[in-house]
Amino acid sequence: MLITTTFNTVVSLAQTPSQHSSTFPVNGTVDKHLVRTVLENATVHVDENTVIVNGTVVLFRGLIESVGSPEEVVVNGPAIRLDMSGYHLYPSFVDLHSSYGLPKVKPAEWSRKPQYESDKKGAYGWNQAIRPEINSAEAFTVDAKKSKEYRTAGIGAMLIHIPDGISRGTGSLVMPVDNPRDAMLRPEASAHFSFRKGSSKQNYPSSLMGSIALLRQTYYDALWYSEASPLGLAGGTNLSLEAFNSNASLPQIFSAGSWKDILRATTVGDEFEVNYIVLGGGDSYQRAEAIYSTGTTVIVPVNYPAAYDLSDPFLSRFVSLTELKHWELAPSNAAYLNDAGVTICFTSEGLKSPSDLLPAVRKSVECGLPVDVALASLTSTPASTIKASNLVGSINPGLIANVIVMDGPIFDSESKIIEHWVSGDPTILVDRQALDLSGNYNVTVGANSFELEVKGSTGKWKATELVNDTTTKKLDLKLDDRTVVMGLKRDEGLIRMTGNVWMDSRIWEGTAMDAKGNSLEWSAVKTEVLTEPVDEKADTTEVAHLELGAITYPFTAYGSTESPVKENVLIESATVWTCEEEGILEETDVLISDGKIIAVGMRLQPQEWIGANAEYTTVSGRGKHITPGIIDEHSHIMIERGVNEGTQASSAEVWIGSSLNSEDVNIYRQLAGGVTCAQLLHGSANPIGGQSAIVKFRWGLLPNDLLYQDASPFIKFALGENVKQSNWGDLQTTRFPQTRMGVEQVFYDNFIRAREYGQAQFDYRQAMRKVKRRDILKGNFPLAPRRDLELDALNEILNEERFITCHSYRQDEINMLMHVADSMGFRLNTFTHILEGYKVADKMKAHGVGGSTFSDWWAYKYEVKDAIPYNAAVLYNMGITTAINSDDAEMGRRLNQEAAKAVKYGQVPQEEALKMVTLNPAKLLHIDHKTGSIKKGKDADVVIWDANPLSMDAQVVATYVDGMCLFSLEKDKELRENIRLERARLTEKMMTSAEPGEKLKKPSERVRPHYHCDTLTEENR
Amino acid sequence: MKNFKIIISLLSLCLFLAFTGQAQQTPAPEQSRSVLIVGGTAHLGTGDVIADAAIGFKDGKIDYVGRAFQVDKSTYDDLVDASGKHIYPGFIVSNSTIGLQEIGAVRASRDQYEVGTFRPNVRSVIAFNTDSEITPTVRTNGVLMGQITPRGGVISGSSCVVHFDGWNWEDAAVKMVDGVHLNWPTTHHKHNKDGVIDIRKSKSYDQSKQEIKSYFTEAKAYAEAYPNHSLGTMDVRHEGMRGLFDGSLTLYVHADDARAISEAIHFKREMSISRMAIIGGYDSYLVADLLRENGVSVLLNSVHRLPRFKEDDVDLPYKLPKLLADEGVLFGLQVDAQMTEMNTRNLPFYAGTARKYGLTEEQAVMALTRNVATILGIEDRCGSIERGKDATLFISSGDALDIISNNLTHAYILGKSIDLDNRQRELYRKFQTKYGFECLD
Repeated sequence: MLITTTFNTVVSLAQTPSQHSSTFPVNGTVDKHLVRTVLENATVHVDENTVIVNGTVVLFRGLIESVGSPEEVVVNGPAIRLDMSGYHLYPSFVDLHSSYGLPKVKPAEWSRKPQYESDKKGAYGWNQAIRPEINSAEAFTVDAKKSKEYRTAGIGAMLIHIPDGISRGTGSLVMPVDNPRDAMLRPEASAHFSFRKGSSKQNYPSSLMGSIALLRQTYYDALWYSEASPLGLAGGTNLSLEAFNSNASLPQIFSAGSWKDILRATTVGDEFEVNYIVLGGGDSYQRAEAIYSTGTTVIVPVNYPAAYDLSDPFLSRFVSLTELKHWELAPSNAAYLNDAGVTICFTSEGLKSPSDLLPAVRKSVECGLPVDVALASLTSTPASTIKASNLVGSINPGLIANVIVMDGPIFDSESKIIEHWVSGDPTILVDRQALDLSGNYNVTVGANSFELEVKGSTGKWKATELVNDTTTKKLDLKLDDRTVVMGLKRDEGLIRMTGNVWMDSRIWEGTAMDAKGNSLEWSAVKTEVLTEPVDEKADTTEVAHLELGAITYPFTAYGSTESPVKENVLIESATVWTCEEEGILEETDVLISDGKIIAVGMRLQPQEWIGANAEYTTVSGRGKHITPGIIDEHSHIMIERGVNEGTQASSAEVWIGSSLNSEDVNIYRQLAGGVTCAQLLHGSANPIGGQSAIVKFRWGLLPNDLLYQDASPFIKFALGENVKQSNWGDLQTTRFPQTRMGVEQVFYDNFIRAREYGQAQFDYRQAMRKVKRRDILKGNFPLAPRRDLELDALNEILNEERFITCHSYRQDEINMLMHVADSMGFRLNTFTHILEGYKVADKMKAHGVGGSTFSDWWAYKYEVKDAIPYNAAVLYNMGITTAINSDDAEMGRRLNQEAAKAVKYGQVPQEEALKMVTLNPAKLLHIDHKTGSIKKGKDADVVIWDANPLSMDAQVVATYVDGMCLFSLEKDKELRENIRLERARLTEKMMTSAEPGEKLKKPSERVRPHYHCDTLTEENR
Repeated sequence: MKNFKIIISLLSLCLFLAFTGQAQQTPAPEQSRSVLIVGGTAHLGTGDVIADAAIGFKDGKIDYVGRAFQVDKSTYDDLVDASGKHIYPGFIVSNSTIGLQEIGAVRASRDQYEVGTFRPNVRSVIAFNTDSEITPTVRTNGVLMGQITPRGGVISGSSCVVHFDGWNWEDAAVKMVDGVHLNWPTTHHKHNKDGVIDIRKSKSYDQSKQEIKSYFTEAKAYAEAYPNHSLGTMDVRHEGMRGLFDGSLTLYVHADDARAISEAIHFKREMSISRMAIIGGYDSYLVADLLRENGVSVLLNSVHRLPRFKEDDVDLPYKLPKLLADEGVLFGLQVDAQMTEMNTRNLPFYAGTARKYGLTEEQAVMALTRNVATILGIEDRCGSIERGKDATLFISSGDALDIISNNLTHAYILGKSIDLDNRQRELYRKFQTKYGFECLD
């Protein structure tokens, strides 16, 4: 709780300006602002830790002049003294995420016609989503209506910026007051970023991974520009990069959103040693520890989701378990973050009205956020976060005179904001001097007299004439400031009365006019003060029981409340498909421990392997089959906001791994199909696609924890109809290439440039080696070549440090790419799809490339007319490393059946067919030394089936990834039951918690599209 | 493992064809010699199974179904030994666009979408391309018949039922028109925002329903007023609807959502439509009682697909057939997912999965044969191995519902022994030969 002290140091402003100066000429006589305002006898909450009981605050010329006890505070000169007995003074709130007073941003609409270049005029950068030159202070205008809303809400300062683009320029610290010059506290207060491209109509970037790559490249460009520009080697002036560099010293604020985007933003920040302050999305509680470990400060929105109307059981299926649970836990967001140690600041961003801020923060307090943290998160923390503690965030001398007056402790639900002083000017919400009319009065009007009873509260006074013990008559009574107006009904007609209220409402006096137009005198004298009976009705806040559901990992259906553990398991006496030389072993045991397969053999004694005291579970494998975990060489699941950055012919700079969604339920579905590992590929919209990510389906862990450690880097290339935009409509005919001929040239052009780039980097390193130390100290050394993320990736290919998986169908282009690679001196790693591979299998064999194919897809495009299901068999016969892949979330979970098709079409031996979805893809992904077969020492990626895995009768009994059992029929049954019960509990809670008349949301669903190679989306606005 | 003899015979066939070039896709000649299949396990499509069976057929019709030891072999011209093999009625794919679309991405090869909202008069049969290169690849796996269905609009048009062998569509047709296809309006529509799809109740749902009702009411009034169409009063669109009201045609309602299905059933009662089937039917298990009590059957979407909702059981699509079977709802399996045409060859394996997830073997076979024939209104002729029925059946050396054992050795359509080769096998042989490998198939 708060520390209550007698404040014993009077701090007064060291240098009070003797004159209130202004650069503006005065039209009239000068107001010298000589009178101070003194707020006395208040409970002053200087900040979240310090309270002065019976404190005095002196406001002078828009600033706080002094704060302390009455004895300590000396008021020099004339002063208005305001008695604040019974009131609490708090520093005004500081909101770090706002676009108040700035022009509205209109996201660009999707256009069928591509725009490849920036249409911004002037000496700016090449991409319109990079707008560091935008200065919010220049765009700021006062919006009197909005500014009053902010003041009413208790917000005394906002950090505003134009929420448009990836690099958004500078933000300003402003106050909600009506003079723009007073409002503008700090014009360049911050620099802003996001992953959303906003109003830019330029195609690039169309995906999240593209945004990330563009932002990273901008950092590298800016760095290089700062060195190259003074030498005149920067290729002209780039005002965007200049602004980017000069904004670098400001607090850097990243409007991220979901916890995944927070982690992505901080990853970028770490690369460039930038500590972003991030805007969260209200779901941070789901991974509070992970956010804590980034060390970032989170700006927390409090727009908790509304309840859904779940009255129709069928329709309510559209509301996912995630949404239901989020509805319940969202108000606990701040408490979870605080418990994890994260520094938080509240924002009104996303609320319908800023006035909803305080009630929403009170909800956080109800959910366990300590009140001092809650207050700090509204005031001092946001101020210090943007290095503005010298301006706002506490009631200390020298700071802006931003003070909230409340009639009770701030987090009591009954307390109201009475006044809000911003920059020394009050906004009065409740009249502290308001008259209390309640009581009984003897009224005399001319010859009439009667007894009057007044009840109610300010603005809602109700008057009744007490005729006798049983009869009462209502009277019309209005109070305007101190003037009271009443109408008295008499048989003769209406007597209209007006008069003044005196002496704290003990006496009313005035003039009346009767029905005939005669003037009468009237008066009322209070006889009795009514004491309002205490309202005995049940306190509604008590009902809100805080029995909350648990956070599951992932926070979706089939998530688990516990983190998966690496188990010691002995699977006994099974048929083991080793996918090694040993072939298929009958009645064999497999022992796994610490994430590895530690023994394969008959009648194993676990103690011999894991020690006598180690515990292990035994699983009967009798009648069961064990295979290595299935590996999908070509998958597009768990990718967030765009699988293609197909807006340029080459997008080698983007990385699928930067936009992983570890919460995709398809991960669980793949596990249920025995799939443990996959290569997540960029789409095939352009010849040079993006870098891929090899993941293990460690369901429940964080996105980066799903990445395969130490995997070789891969990149997606593509050929054919997709890259030449054949099936994209008649407007998509301008991007190079539009023919297979052009595709070849894209490769040559890019590789030649990459080679030159690599050479330049090499030459630079060589030159730097020769530079003497003293020259370096003098700054006398060669300019480093500009780092280009795209050419970096291509150069790695040339150096055989990065490997190509190429989407391919027709033999001509397959042949062509092998020639390109041969002439450039590297070997292609994999042709994926490779549907006409059977036509050039001899050439593929000679080049040494592997093939990863569909089992039987064809007839969907012209170029797959000659695709045959015997393709895998022919490639296998040729001795080519052959895999079968999915490219599809549905097929991905039945890859064992797809492998079976190699048996049906071409009679590949069964074990060899199984290798096409296990060991062979492992080889193609360079992870066969770790996984892909059942072998001692390999990762415990193991699947137990109830029948021959190639048969339609096979169902997965259990799937282990790194020795963690992430799917089993038993667990699945339990999880289904949990889902049913949790949904039922939350439905009941949501339906009973709705207030009568509360507007409920219609059921709606938020689903992500399923991606294929050719999925083109714009998901980045 | 396969019989050595078969390998040799196929090898020689393959060598033969390698020399003659073009794979034979010529329609088979009419049955001139009677055939008796002897031995093997016959799955009759009726739910019955005969071990060591004998199936005889003459002039395109089955004339003997029984045990091998009881049959008089001498009355048949040709004997086919099916010992150790399995015999099935030809599988029927419903709701198919085979023959209407050849290559998805090539607009010129797409013939399933006509323009207009209500177009019951549009008939698929005349656009069914008997020379599609996809059909032979489908026959190879046992799918010998299909219901060819137009797409799009509210009423897409009428479907037909064809054999997958014929010189032209007249030749192939079993039923020129078997029913009218109604796409029930979506109760919830999708719109993309912010990288997520928001699904909300469609604002136009009630209006669309009203339009359908008006359209049917008009068509019914027309059919009643003009029992025989004559020039002057003939409305070609309404003529397309006539059969729905006299029970000669089936109304196929494409719907997945529980609410849509139940409202379609109410619509059936309101309009006194005697024959209705749901195509799609993801939610059918939720309204099974209503379906059964109203005699509405279901042609289930691809068994191999993803669950609709994240919370759904991971295997829900796999076990849907079992859920319907337990509720006594008549259902068949079909292929309406991506790449429908080419995926039709996987239809037998959908039944294989349904069997693993609860159906009995014979229930699984029925879901591809007689159930479908009953729903399509051709059960008097097709869909089962019974005396008097069309001799449309095949022999597989192993379990036809399993990928590793589905291997057709013989197939007959109306008694005609059809060629099981296709262009893909031809390409396979061509390149296996180029590289000097045997053609194992």
